[in-house]
Amino acid sequence: MENRTKKLPFRRYFSITRAGILEMAMFRSSRVLDFVGNMVYMIVVYFLWRAIYASTHTVSVNGMTFKQTLIYLTLAGAIFSTLNNYLVWKMGRDIQSGQISLFFTKPMDFFLREFFYSLGNVATQLVLTFIPTFLVVSILSGWSLPMGVNLLIFLPAIAMSLVISFSIDFMVGTVCLYSQSIWGINMMKEVIILLLSGATIPLAFFPEAFRNVLMFLPFQAIYNVPLMVLVSNTYTWIDYARALGVQAFWMVILVACARLFFRSSSRVITVNGG
Amino acid sequence: MISEQREKKEKLHRGAFYYPRIYRMIITQDIKSKMHYRADFYISTIGMLATNIAGFISFWLIFQSFPSINGWTYYEMLFLYAFSLLALTPVQLFFDNNWALRFNVYSGDFVKYCFRPLNLFFYYISETIDIKGAGQLVFGAGTLVYAWHHLGLEVSVRSMALLIVALTSASLVMIAMMNAAAATCFWVINSGTVMVFLFRFKDYAKYPMTIYNIGFQIVFSILIPIGFIAYYPSLIYLRAQDVSILTYLSPVIAVLFYYGSYKLWIRGAMKYSGTGS
Repeated sequence: MENRTKKLPFRRYFSITRAGILEMAMFRSSRVLDFVGNMVYMIVVYFLWRAIYASTHTVSVNGMTFKQTLIYLTLAGAIFSTLNNYLVWKMGRDIQSGQISLFFTKPMDFFLREFFYSLGNVATQLVLTFIPTFLVVSILSGWSLPMGVNLLIFLPAIAMSLVISFSIDFMVGTVCLYSQSIWGINMMKEVIILLLSGATIPLAFFPEAFRNVLMFLPFQAIYNVPLMVLVSNTYTWIDYARALGVQAFWMVILVACARLFFRSSSRVITVNGG
Repeated sequence: MISEQREKKEKLHRGAFYYPRIYRMIITQDIKSKMHYRADFYISTIGMLATNIAGFISFWLIFQSFPSINGWTYYEMLFLYAFSLLALTPVQLFFDNNWALRFNVYSGDFVKYCFRPLNLFFYYISETIDIKGAGQLVFGAGTLVYAWHHLGLEVSVRSMALLIVALTSASLVMIAMMNAAAATCFWVINSGTVMVFLFRFKDYAKYPMTIYNIGFQIVFSILIPIGFIAYYPSLIYLRAQDVSILTYLSPVIAVLFYYGSYKLWIRGAMKYSGTGS
């Protein structure tokens, strides 16, 4: 038993990933609505930015053409719904109901347990939301997206996006131990990430000083880095390596922060009743 | 029999102020219980304001690089945005309990609302007031005044009265959408997704309908009527020369949508048979 656990360190967590996938598969009509919602978002983004670009006479603004902006924003929307896992809500509810005490009695690490559960959700969403959106965008843009090594590099990039975004969610969820204001905290997190990562307005449109600051924050590593890997025609091996390096850097830092924060916070847990 | 007679008698004595008085009593209890979570109120209000400010910044960023959106200027877009925020405030403030409807229905707690001699919908909805919506009210009003001033719109009794009518009918449309979405929980299990799905559309209400092609203009006027949340009512102020017929019809349409959603909600509740425990 000892040996097998050593060979496959996360073996026992995969059953939790499976549970995450099954949960997603159970609510099939929700997945259909998710998909329709993303398509509507794509259509609104298309009409909005078509109207915006109609007001200029130049093809490219801040180095981005209409087509590039459209691809960037729709794929950002798809990544958002892929990574969106309601973790803050789940942790907040477990904390308020006292359920969280159950997890302390189990021979599993809470962080890893939650991570592998969302991995199941994210994997399902990747197949059901991201890939269809990617295909639709590729077809509508006339296959102008590069199809080569960028697709391979995108996989580790999106995996690291998941770890970064999960760690931030986990830290925000841990804050619920102190404040019990799930809605407000989750709202602030979403607004900050969506705006500062470039998922609402591409970072290229931000004033330069502002953008330079944002480049030093972890949020752009969630959306901007994997998206640039996917859509750029000019990336060289050095650019790919740098992109993945930036993500790895934030991943290590944020995972460490999330785990330390939770460990020190779990000492203050007060569970309601028995 | 006796209780029935008594009920009839009481109904006769309920004056015009019966429901407002009950409403005040129920809401007072809710506010008292919310006072225990003061930190939650502050954090939620900041969260709400952050969302509103992010919307503002998005427009500001777009207009840093572009002169207009399809002929709509920066202040006109802000007007539409502020109008939509104000129209979305009542649904946030007074109809927030719709979000809890599905949990009440699945757990069986909903039965408790069925045993009161009050209108079921009224009693259920009046149970909570979501005070964080007040932040949006202030931000929306401030932005509207700002845009109003820069557009040089007239300030008169007539324009203010029109604004109140326009905002009321716009709010009713959003309330109707969320009532209908919440009511789906009487028929389907995962109505939460339906609510989230429809709630997302409110974010698209701040754009002028002219950016869409004719197909989506029809969809957003009839099927998912977000055009009535900001665009059609705002035309009176922003494009007085080509006001759509839908602008004048919007109060009627809003009342119809609201009544339809109320009927749907009640129909679902009437068919509710509890969970058996």
